[in-house]
Amino acid sequence: MANKPQGMAVPAAMPDASGPAGVEGVPVPSFEWMGLSAEWGVRIKPGEAGLRIGDLNVGIYGEVPEVWEDQTRRPRGALPRPGVPPLPYNLRNKHQMWADSAAGLYEEAIQRRWIPATDVPWNTLKALPEDVERAVCQVCTELTQYANTEIEIITYWQDQMSYGYYEVKQFLATATFDCARIIEALRKRALSNGGGLGVESRGLVNRMILESRGGWTESAAYLYLVRGTYAMQVLRGLLNAAHNDAERMIFGKAIEDHARHLTYGYDHLKYSVSHQAGEADIMQTLLSLGEVMMAAELEESTMRPALAIIFGGGIQGGRTIGMETYLHLVGDFVRNYLSICDWLGVPRAQMLHPMLKKYLEY
Amino acid sequence: MAQFPSLDWFHQVRDVYNSDSSLHKGGGGACHTTAAFKVEDQSYLIVFEGLKCADIRQASAAELKDADFIIEMPYELWKGMIANVQSHGKADLQYTLNSIDLQQDESIAYSPVDDQYRQDLFYRYNQNFQDFFDASARVETTFA
Repeated sequence: MANKPQGMAVPAAMPDASGPAGVEGVPVPSFEWMGLSAEWGVRIKPGEAGLRIGDLNVGIYGEVPEVWEDQTRRPRGALPRPGVPPLPYNLRNKHQMWADSAAGLYEEAIQRRWIPATDVPWNTLKALPEDVERAVCQVCTELTQYANTEIEIITYWQDQMSYGYYEVKQFLATATFDCARIIEALRKRALSNGGGLGVESRGLVNRMILESRGGWTESAAYLYLVRGTYAMQVLRGLLNAAHNDAERMIFGKAIEDHARHLTYGYDHLKYSVSHQAGEADIMQTLLSLGEVMMAAELEESTMRPALAIIFGGGIQGGRTIGMETYLHLVGDFVRNYLSICDWLGVPRAQMLHPMLKKYLEY
Repeated sequence: MAQFPSLDWFHQVRDVYNSDSSLHKGGGGACHTTAAFKVEDQSYLIVFEGLKCADIRQASAAELKDADFIIEMPYELWKGMIANVQSHGKADLQYTLNSIDLQQDESIAYSPVDDQYRQDLFYRYNQNFQDFFDASARVETTFA
């Protein structure tokens, strides 16, 4: 807890300017800045889980306003300096990015880091039938593009998020690092077992995400609610079908990392819908458009045959049990998507795109 | 020899899990959650704090609301999972929590208060819980 004197702080002690004479030729330091602090004397103590950024939210440092007017890079709680030119921080409303979970998720990401180079037991990789290896490599290729899309859209908006909501910027920095790490792990998997990368994705949903320019909330709806919910099912299916401990480690850790991203995404969408009048209606419109693109991608993406081959243990099995497993996976995605939409207060069951609705049969 | 399910069995698994960090490979990293396991009419609350399983105790129906999420499945499925762990030293791919969940029509993990945020912890800490049950390979087990 904080332990500080009341009122605006002043420095406890100023260096004595009348002290010993300085060294000739060395400029005398200026100490005027030492008197400048909006709140001084703060002593936050670590709790059982250490000193977390969420613990720092005391006094003025914990005041998270609905609107952050400051367009400079000033840290929340620091004194503003007159004359600093504004920068293009266009997202200055709390409902445009906030999630209460962001600070905790940042800590979780930092604490639960993993190292593909040494944590993944690469020596457990064994030769697979060529059709299966090609399918695994194709999935690695597409998931790499999912991850680099996530990096690009986060960094596009992160640049515009004001520093009043620094917890979100901190968490999103870890999310981009998580994505970089999964790109690393997938590339290593594809290039270490006799295969190589497959063909580039046509990228309908990637493009939709990258071209969402109405605000971070719009991008988050596409990135996390639409694509992210599907990607979680894909990762879970891949863990279930892992061929060795190396894949088991990669997909097990990828699920945990991705789950943090989804937690932030769902939490932010919930915050936005519940704190901004009209947002639920906007979300309905966005999701109507997003479902069209998602359904089209499900129809034509190479993920479909590649995953069916992995789940079926080869091309032959991919035509039967593999495809059945894949269709059930997509059915689970649509059911989860509808359930989360309900939780967000944006029910979609009655308006779900018919090309997605058909997966509910599986 | 401990019988599954029983508080004694869960305590023995906890002791194995807490005493050997090499068992934490899958879910390395701090884990902060209170979850519940429901086996037929028996319920257990399990508390993870940091790198340890801090507590596990029997819980009443009312106490289950304290859980971030509950893992519930029929006894035969619990038994199959534990027996598989006993046989292989860790769950093979048909008997991980993830696999079992995928194979069911309804998810085996749910929030008792329909809170999506808390239910997501099942996925965020999935490998910690897998590590916990994999630790039961070192506990001599009988079944009720």
